[in-house]
Amino acid sequence: MKRVNFFYATKLTFDDYVHDHSFALRIIPLETDTQHILSCSLNIAPYISTQQTVDAFGNNVTAGYMRDDHRFLDFEIKGSAQVDHTKHRTDYMPCYLYQSQYTKPDHALKVFYDSIKKKCTGTAADKAEYICNILSKTVEYGKGSTDTTTTAEQAFALKKGVCQDFSHILISLLRMEGIAARYIAGLAFCDGETHSWVEYWTGDHWEGIDPANNCSVNDDYIVISQGRDFRDCAIDRGVMFGKYTKQLQLVRSELT
Amino acid sequence: MTQQVQFTKAVGNANEINELLRRYGVKFGIYKNGTFNEQFFPFDPIPRVITAEDFQSMEKGLAQRVNALNEFLFDIYHEKKIVRDGIIPEDFIYISKGYLAECEGITPKNNVYSHISGIDLVQAKDGEWYILEDNLRIPSGASYPLIARDLTRIAAPQAFEENPIIDNRGYAELLKETMENVNCGGARAILTPGRYNAAYFEHSYLAELTDSVLVQNDELFVEDNVLYHHTYSGGKSRIGVLYRRIADEYLDPLTFLPESLIGIPNLMEAYRSGNVGIINAPGNGVADDKGIYYFVPKMIKYYLGEEPILKNAPTYLPFYEEDMKYVMAHLDKLVIKDVAEAGGYGVVFGRDLTKEKLEEFRQTIIAEPRRFIAQEVIDFLDLPIIEGNKTVMRKADLRVFVLSGAETKVWASGLTRFSRNPDSFVVNSSQGGGFKDTWVLSR
Repeated sequence: MKRVNFFYATKLTFDDYVHDHSFALRIIPLETDTQHILSCSLNIAPYISTQQTVDAFGNNVTAGYMRDDHRFLDFEIKGSAQVDHTKHRTDYMPCYLYQSQYTKPDHALKVFYDSIKKKCTGTAADKAEYICNILSKTVEYGKGSTDTTTTAEQAFALKKGVCQDFSHILISLLRMEGIAARYIAGLAFCDGETHSWVEYWTGDHWEGIDPANNCSVNDDYIVISQGRDFRDCAIDRGVMFGKYTKQLQLVRSELT
Repeated sequence: MTQQVQFTKAVGNANEINELLRRYGVKFGIYKNGTFNEQFFPFDPIPRVITAEDFQSMEKGLAQRVNALNEFLFDIYHEKKIVRDGIIPEDFIYISKGYLAECEGITPKNNVYSHISGIDLVQAKDGEWYILEDNLRIPSGASYPLIARDLTRIAAPQAFEENPIIDNRGYAELLKETMENVNCGGARAILTPGRYNAAYFEHSYLAELTDSVLVQNDELFVEDNVLYHHTYSGGKSRIGVLYRRIADEYLDPLTFLPESLIGIPNLMEAYRSGNVGIINAPGNGVADDKGIYYFVPKMIKYYLGEEPILKNAPTYLPFYEEDMKYVMAHLDKLVIKDVAEAGGYGVVFGRDLTKEKLEEFRQTIIAEPRRFIAQEVIDFLDLPIIEGNKTVMRKADLRVFVLSGAETKVWASGLTRFSRNPDSFVVNSSQGGGFKDTWVLSR
């Protein structure tokens, strides 16, 4: 058990005015069996009225709409949580057993799976660790070659990627192996931005594994959102109107 | 038959009615090779007649079927008892493109998922009716029999004096009731993707009939999880129920396809919060999937504890080993449907294939058994149509509209579509078919 302070901020700056801007943020961490949120405050600037809902995957959604012209949108969360990974989460959904948009394997990924499946034996945990180990030797961690639209098959073809890509490839392989797996977006001590990792279903509960760091998940991780893949977990999704507008996004996060 | 002939005479001249339809702008659009063409939907003046007795059993059977489908949708997006109890294999639910995990846990007002269901039936030569498919997403076509009836009435008023035909103008009231049943407070609106949509004529026509605002997405916005319409004076007015005529995937770019330009951002948040009714409910595609069709009679028994009144066409799922064997042995006699396709696309008659093609297709089915269903070809009743100066016989089906408001009601009318090609069984308007009025007799 550990008490953790978390902080996360995004600044969106537009180089011209935008209006009729709708957004959905998945930024308020989940209250779960393994993490108890002690405090959490969300600040959005400019001031705008927002509404909270919980989506199909259990995520906290903050929805807002700004009709008037504006050139920036900042949001940040700050809070603390009690994390205890000796406790187990059991919120299973059958859809996690099936490939989703980002994890659908192509021929190359299927061939790769076929080449490793013989040695992939034992419990779900053994298999997940085994695949994670192989991945860390097959795919190189590196920024700049992939982005948020990169799928598992694309990152696997490049043999290079960031945490999001590692997660998608691992989920794809686990699902091929018949193990339900979900994508986690959150904060971790090892990262200056947001992090992503994977939870697999052991048969009666979820267990976390961090493929980008090839390690298991401990009390240094805070879950913000979860879903079938990145698409269900994007921290911010927005639609706005304006002239040709470039968007600059600055992200900062901290766990202490 | 003598009755049919009498009707033909009574209804009179097809050209006159088709001319009226043209003037009214009754069209539908087709995309072919990337370009959009609007076509007139050819009307045939000989009505299909359904006897009072036939309609009564059809009415009971359809209401039963739609009630079971509504129960199924509620179950799938909540407890999934039908899967747990082993009636439907899990794969069929979660591989279906129509299943939307984003809709898990949402409970639409009054638990209605399929407010407007378009059920396609055919009548076999022995008089038996068979269900061909369920359309629970955004079935189109209700406006055609309405307007055709209006025009027929103008062209041949005596036909309606002489025959006990049930008036079909009640559709407007029925649709209004259905919308009001799930109205969460506000105006009624019909959302159209615009005039380049295949069914734009219908969208505007239904809006007029039901006193609904006809809107496009850029006139709508969600604020504080409430759906509003920008008024012309710069204000906003609340929408309580949205009859949307765009597909689920495009409905909300912040929940579904981010690249959708025809959706309304955060509409799903407003819907989840119970602030707006959406007709039909997003996620219904899991119930009208061609693979799920096979299980509908089982659903009726499971949820309602009743025997199905209407029959499915005999169907085989290559997914099951036993069915696969049958399909492989009889491929040349069966009709094979790709479960992911709609609108008459992806339908293959085994008898039309050359030996090589048949073999190729066999391998495709073996490789992807979940993708196909196979059905016996029903020798369905030909209906007379006028071609030039002659009366010829053509294949036809019937789409009946079932509306689920406070009660489930079957509209005593329907869209009879026929194939203009004498060798074809495919009657879809997008495949160049025509339509005729459907008279349901009151006695």
